[in-house]
Amino acid sequence: MPGMWWVVGATLVVALVSAYLIWTAGRVERLQARAQLAARALDAHLLRRAAAAAVLAERRYGVELYAAARIALDAQPDEREAAENDLTRQLRTVRLDPTNPDCEAVIAASRRLALARQVHTDLVRDARAARGRPLVRLLRMGHRHTWPRYFDIDDPTLTVPADVPAG
Amino acid sequence: MRIGIVCPYSFDVPGGVQNHVMDLAEALIGLGHTVSVLAPADEDSPLPAYVVSAGRAVPLPYNGSVARIAFGPVSTTRVRRWITRGDFDVLHVHEPLTLSLSMLAVLSARGPVVATFHTAMTRSRVLAAAQGALQIVLERITARIAVSALARKVQVEHLDGGAVEIPNGVAVAKFAGVEPLPGWPGECGPGTGGTLGFLGRFTEPRKGFPILRDAFVELARQRPGLRLLVAGPGDRNDLFDRFPTDLRDRVTFLGLVSEEEKARMLRSVHLYVAPNTGGESFGMILTEALAAGTTVVASDLDAFRRVLDGGRAGRMFPTGDAVTLRRTLTELLDDPAQRAELTACGDQVVANFDWPVVARRVMEVYAAAIEATDGRVIDQEWVGLT
Repeated sequence: MPGMWWVVGATLVVALVSAYLIWTAGRVERLQARAQLAARALDAHLLRRAAAAAVLAERRYGVELYAAARIALDAQPDEREAAENDLTRQLRTVRLDPTNPDCEAVIAASRRLALARQVHTDLVRDARAARGRPLVRLLRMGHRHTWPRYFDIDDPTLTVPADVPAG
Repeated sequence: MRIGIVCPYSFDVPGGVQNHVMDLAEALIGLGHTVSVLAPADEDSPLPAYVVSAGRAVPLPYNGSVARIAFGPVSTTRVRRWITRGDFDVLHVHEPLTLSLSMLAVLSARGPVVATFHTAMTRSRVLAAAQGALQIVLERITARIAVSALARKVQVEHLDGGAVEIPNGVAVAKFAGVEPLPGWPGECGPGTGGTLGFLGRFTEPRKGFPILRDAFVELARQRPGLRLLVAGPGDRNDLFDRFPTDLRDRVTFLGLVSEEEKARMLRSVHLYVAPNTGGESFGMILTEALAAGTTVVASDLDAFRRVLDGGRAGRMFPTGDAVTLRRTLTELLDDPAQRAELTACGDQVVANFDWPVVARRVMEVYAAAIEATDGRVIDQEWVGLT
């Protein structure tokens, strides 16, 4: 019966297409969730660095660094990238002594922030690539989430002055 | 912290990735973490206690040499079982883009995954063609590490992602404390004596051995007692045929050496010479020579310049220039004070490459990967970084 084969073929195609769609939807959802968690980790590291910088400013350096740290802590989302870059610039102008615990805290926080930023950028890129696919857009997969945003700041790593060779 | 490390290549054959994995695992254990390494290995081969065998590896030609890897349904089951039993906080895979245990582990993993890229693969067309399939692997990786600037460049340009550059470590303690070979390095005074060292495949043009040979032949005629110590794979006669007959008794060939003999060899010379003409992505041997406390003379390749801190920790000469090399060698052999100054800087530089230091930087990447997977922030103390 030729009608029978048609039904079997159509069922098979529908099954394969739905399996692919379910897999794609899961993938979009997973990448989206990862990007959001990475954003939370990045946010936490930004706060930590600003807090460490504020402590350092209070104990050792003047008002300018303190002001930059406060502005970074209080910045609205749309001003935050600029505020964080300002803080990085301020930190680069002061001479950090790695043996001092307050300085060391800022250096470590900056290093961890650089890693969090790197991971966040990679995961956002993956999530955007997955959500940008035509099929995903057509079926509005992942539309419950906001479009993942990059957090575009300069590399916050601080260079510690190289040790002068003994003798 | 519970760490699972996957090595794609068999421990039955020595290699750069295998050494890296073993040294990293030992350094992490030294920092107080629980580490399990999954690697292909023959059933009867002796393995360190922290290594779990994933079964025999099959030799496959890859990237210009033969890699022994494991791949397939049996390996998949073993990888899954190892991951389930290990209950790892973080999974660290090496070279995940080869068809290997590493790729299987990435595809089976649920938690944070850190991947280290060792080779600077330049076959970009292959990467571009397989981009869609590789993307499925890449997007399961949380954080990427590249061991050299070159490996990182490949990540950025061809795989569309960033990577943290963390150099290869060197186990300084394994090099610093060993005894030189008996009778070496011998006398070295103004205008007389001295020992030069070379390690590597002397037949391979990019290792630059002919440049060292030219400089040595010229210098040995003016300088009585100058000796050359060569180690590495190759044929003894083939090496000696490269030298004039009257100088052959001043060349010593050790052949292929073990890691331990390598350390002794590096301590048996006054000057270690790296005349490479290119193709080096990192310069592992230079960090090893510095760790052994030996003065280094190297061609001015970018990779070497980075290791030698722009020439502060070792003397550099224009790549391929045997005449300048000879002048540099004479100057350094005649001047023990200058050698001492260079090795003092070398000690400082190599401290940054010491495995415990490198392992702490890797731990920070683990922390970043865990944080990006569950959104919590890990204390510096918890990672063991203070």
